[in-house]
Amino acid sequence: MPEERKHRGNRGNNRFPDTDFERIFHPASIAILGVSSDENSVGFGTGMLRVLKEMGFAGRIYPVNPSGGSVLGLKIYSRMEDIPERVDFAVIAVTAKLVPQALEDCLRSGVAGAEILSSGFGELGTQEGRQLEDQIREITARGIRVVGPNCFGIYCPRSGLTMLPGQDLSRESGNVAFLAQSGGMASDFAHAGEWMGIRFSKMVSFGNGADLREAELLNYLARDHETEVISMYIEGIKDGDVFFRELKAAAARKPVIIFKGGLSAAGARSVASHTASMGGSGLIWSSVLKQTGAVQVFDTQELMQASAAFSLLPKKSFRNIAVIGGGGAIGVAACDIAERHGMEIPPLASDIRERIEAILPRPGSSALNPVDVANPLVAPSILKEVLMNAAQDERIDLQIIVSLFFHYNPYALMFGVPIAEIVPYKELVEVVGDVINKTGKPVVAVLPNARRGPRNMDITGLIALARQEYVQRGIPVFDELHEAIRAIAHVNTYYGRRENEKR
Amino acid sequence: MKNDKAARIIEKAVKKGRKALSEYESKQLLAAYGIPITKEILLKDKDGLARATERIGFPLVMKGCSADIAHKTEKGLIYVDIRTVSEAKKAYREVMAGMEGFEGGVLVQEMVKGRRELVMGLTRDPQFGPCVMFGLGGIFTEILRDVSFRRAPLEDYDAREMMKEIKGHKILDAVRGMEAADEKRLTEMLISIGRIGLENPDVMEIDLNPVILSGARPVVVDALVVLK
Repeated sequence: MPEERKHRGNRGNNRFPDTDFERIFHPASIAILGVSSDENSVGFGTGMLRVLKEMGFAGRIYPVNPSGGSVLGLKIYSRMEDIPERVDFAVIAVTAKLVPQALEDCLRSGVAGAEILSSGFGELGTQEGRQLEDQIREITARGIRVVGPNCFGIYCPRSGLTMLPGQDLSRESGNVAFLAQSGGMASDFAHAGEWMGIRFSKMVSFGNGADLREAELLNYLARDHETEVISMYIEGIKDGDVFFRELKAAAARKPVIIFKGGLSAAGARSVASHTASMGGSGLIWSSVLKQTGAVQVFDTQELMQASAAFSLLPKKSFRNIAVIGGGGAIGVAACDIAERHGMEIPPLASDIRERIEAILPRPGSSALNPVDVANPLVAPSILKEVLMNAAQDERIDLQIIVSLFFHYNPYALMFGVPIAEIVPYKELVEVVGDVINKTGKPVVAVLPNARRGPRNMDITGLIALARQEYVQRGIPVFDELHEAIRAIAHVNTYYGRRENEKR
Repeated sequence: MKNDKAARIIEKAVKKGRKALSEYESKQLLAAYGIPITKEILLKDKDGLARATERIGFPLVMKGCSADIAHKTEKGLIYVDIRTVSEAKKAYREVMAGMEGFEGGVLVQEMVKGRRELVMGLTRDPQFGPCVMFGLGGIFTEILRDVSFRRAPLEDYDAREMMKEIKGHKILDAVRGMEAADEKRLTEMLISIGRIGLENPDVMEIDLNPVILSGARPVVVDALVVLK
């Protein structure tokens, strides 16, 4: 679609103002208003300058402060209008009462959008705070877009825009977009994404959301060609009607995963009918999310795990699963969890079962599915054969491999070597990657750890390394089997609905 | 496109400063939207009783009908399974006495037979506006709270999904010798309830409980419409 190629904002869409989001997310130049000439300043402005440089932001950066001077080798401009070019994006970090003037200056200089990191607005609940926020809104109506105030702003790996503190966030761009009012949530998600294998296209923490917020950003991300999965944390929305419309439209194009916080507080409305007392905000929210085709999750971990699954798995549903490894009890539990989530772990076809039985160590193994490999030390080469064979069962849509690496601990102690040296995790990950390529069926890894105490920090370290190997290959990996299955179930809910509608 | 008949019923009540429609008015409103209701006649005096019982046919139900009395069961103003004219006369006297001067009348109503009771309704969510409810009806509504919601307007798909969503959805299937419920009819009812909410801003809440499955056919047996 040409509209998407151009990657322009809302042109040709009369619901929201025309906005050049390209200049906002991938600016060629940035002004930072509220930078101190003292480079050790702990202010947000100076902090942002530092982290943008550390992130390797490739565009031009113009610090602005009426006092002038220089900082970190850059000239500080006294006024926006002294900057020798039209700036694309601005970071505003001046004290709240100076924000309207700063924004006005940005507007006059042709800046497309600004993130206002400063707080001291509507969130205070004071009249002064509300008035300042109204002033911001009034200025945006004249042609500049605002993220914030009271936010951590935008993280965009491709351009190098980042949040505070975020100098060490990944520069690797990916297919997941994240939206939240909460800056803390955004920042945590950005950091967790790194070890969970989630790479981001754009992340926006919009704080008070005086201007740009959930519905309009959904509208943009739905059409953004960099974004394939939209993930959101929501506390409150501005307009139920618009939100519903945009969410439904977005979810029709790509998966939207939503964690709605604050569902418990609003239940106490006094009502006359049974129907109203049955509702309450939690149930209505769940219903609305289902109705739009969005995926609802109930905590941060689930949000991140579902995001990883949507981001890394093929765009379809996976009803029948093979589970390899993990031992008997884990296998039994796997069947129960799978069934609860509408999936099956069907017995493998008898010829395939026979072939797997021939490879596995005996006694103690079972090739039924879940495939019990009898002991946790089975070599990657054998596991490869098991995975290759199980994938040949045409009913199997996806395989889960459970590796109990912590069981290598006694051997590490016995031989007096670090556990990371005797666990063949690199080989295993390579093998799993091979299997995926050869069979065309996805494999999801699970790395439980029963030894997480301070005595076993080496195991925690080993698991982190193994995780890294997996995520570098774009293979989803989870700590626990039930987390993996739950995340896959969300993928099934989303694509299952579409597959049903097509039928 | 507004429903004139419905608008007139609501307007009349709003003008009188009433906070709810009576059962009879509520059902007239539903009927104006094509929602199946019990066959019923509202009596203001006892002169019409004989004719009403004849038209509705025994066995029948007689209820106190007033916008001021929302939950009739608790007031003891419902007489069911009335089989003779003399029983009807007696019920009439007792209901009128129980009304204690509230404005209204006596509703003579067909007795709908069916073992499956559903609930349907409408609530206005502060965020999302009119939302339609579906669930298990009768006394189970409050005990099991097995209900689902969809925001209006509902599409066919939404209505079907919300029926599948309740835990007790199998009650709609052919079970224990009972016919499968007329899902098409149920779907239309849910969509219509959403329309009532969207087209009539004065309607705050709707409670249809029970909606009884008479064989496959759903019928609204009791209804309450709460106004702004």
